[in-house]
Amino acid sequence: MSGAGWLSYSLEDFIMFGPQVFLRLFVRINQDLWPWPLLAVLAGILVPMLLLSQKSAPRRVALGLASVALVTSGYGFLVGYFGPINWPALWFGWGFVLQGVLLGSFMLFGGAPPSRWLDSKSAGYWLAGLWLAAVLALPWLTVAESGDWKAVGLFGLAPGTTAAAGVLLAGSLPGFWRWLYLAVPFFWSLFSAATFWSLQTWWLLGLPVATLILSFLAFRLSPSWARSRG
Amino acid sequence: MVLDRRKFLIGAGLTGLALNSSFLFANSGSTPDSSPITRNIPGTEEAIPAIGMGTWITFNVGGDPALIEQRTQVLKTFFDQGGTLVDGSPMYGTASDVVGEALDRLGARDRLFAATKIWTSDESATRQEAERSGRRWGVEQFDLLQVHNLRGWQGHLETLKAMKAEGQVRYIGITTSHGRRHREFAQIMEREPIDFVQLTYNVLDREAEDRLLPLAQERGIAVIVNRPFQGGSLFGRYQSEPLPDWAGDAGVSNWAEFFLKYIISHPAVTCAIPATTSVEHMKENMGALYGALPGAQQRQKMADYVRSL
Repeated sequence: MSGAGWLSYSLEDFIMFGPQVFLRLFVRINQDLWPWPLLAVLAGILVPMLLLSQKSAPRRVALGLASVALVTSGYGFLVGYFGPINWPALWFGWGFVLQGVLLGSFMLFGGAPPSRWLDSKSAGYWLAGLWLAAVLALPWLTVAESGDWKAVGLFGLAPGTTAAAGVLLAGSLPGFWRWLYLAVPFFWSLFSAATFWSLQTWWLLGLPVATLILSFLAFRLSPSWARSRG
Repeated sequence: MVLDRRKFLIGAGLTGLALNSSFLFANSGSTPDSSPITRNIPGTEEAIPAIGMGTWITFNVGGDPALIEQRTQVLKTFFDQGGTLVDGSPMYGTASDVVGEALDRLGARDRLFAATKIWTSDESATRQEAERSGRRWGVEQFDLLQVHNLRGWQGHLETLKAMKAEGQVRYIGITTSHGRRHREFAQIMEREPIDFVQLTYNVLDREAEDRLLPLAQERGIAVIVNRPFQGGSLFGRYQSEPLPDWAGDAGVSNWAEFFLKYIISHPAVTCAIPATTSVEHMKENMGALYGALPGAQQRQKMADYVRSL
């Protein structure tokens, strides 16, 4: 097709599903996996607390929980539920899985888990607060949009909430790895923003917006890697 | 979740069939309210109802059991109200699987005029694509196979012609939407022995009236019309407005009938294929399959009225 031909298409032309079907995905995954979503909530709350620990082992566990959350939201929600009705979601799903593997690999082979949230105590608490705000507040955007509390988009299951909280860990990774780590949530934010705009699900736009804002704050609040002592 | 009709009604198509002459001035003739409006497929004695059903977006519900059951009820209402032609495409995600599942539950394949599309850039994969779609729909063969949006049309059309000659499909055609590639579309209509075309036409998007619809009449090609509600946006713009005083004379009692009867009263149009996720809206759509149709002067008044709002 010519360039002019493509210009005749709008964002809506690439959306093959309706808002009702998309919002039902959250209801379905919560129901299908019940009661495991409760563990996801617990994990989301534990991660920042573990990262503020003085000992390295809890911080290692925190990164492990975050990496598992990325894998489960990618493979579970995006590949298993969203992909069948929207094929680009399959690619993003595998991207989330790779992102989780990357974080997990860093946890296992990257030496001592970073203590950078502790290097600057106040920044660490800010980051922990932002994390808790993300995992406790953002899940309700899908509820606000659908009017159904069973559609709550939990950390570790819903990619939007998981990506938004997950970017707060980017500042804990060394240079090259942090940019690699941020690629998936960045492009996911652009893709999901375009999707939500086309679906006219205005509440859901809060998810990509939050992800981009939290990415910026993660870098502003995290002390430089060079000052980290592990 | 509260969804308005605009969100329910997303995309649709019109199948083009030659009008029976008795329907050209249907409002002045006698069309019993209990008899569905049908159109003959040009060159045949086969008549199909003038309102079909599209599946773009609306039937792509994945593996959601509740929504599959709900869409099954939409399809049941469509059949119960006299519809037969269902149009799909492998491009529409899981829509083909959901249609197949709904047909299983309803046991209604004998009432179906099955229309789908070939949608692949691999021009040697026409037969495989048709077979794959057949398995998803649960049909041995399709009544109509169309080249989707002219994608790889040269190779696909050659194979479709061969398949028709072999009796593997009854009718073949091409599709476009949103008014795209009309010049190339017309050239194919002039040269190729196709039975159907599918294109966008509604009370606001009337470009097809200039060339494609007259050409379809001239060449004896059936016309399926998609996006009869402009992807649902016509309801967003006009549903709060009153129908004109003379709407009843044109056989119209609501906006769905207004938009659909405007389309199927065009003499070149065979069938319109609105899509919906709602049983109630399906009933409204199928209301356009009955009663009087606007005549030529009333059609002009309908277009003028919409423009005046």
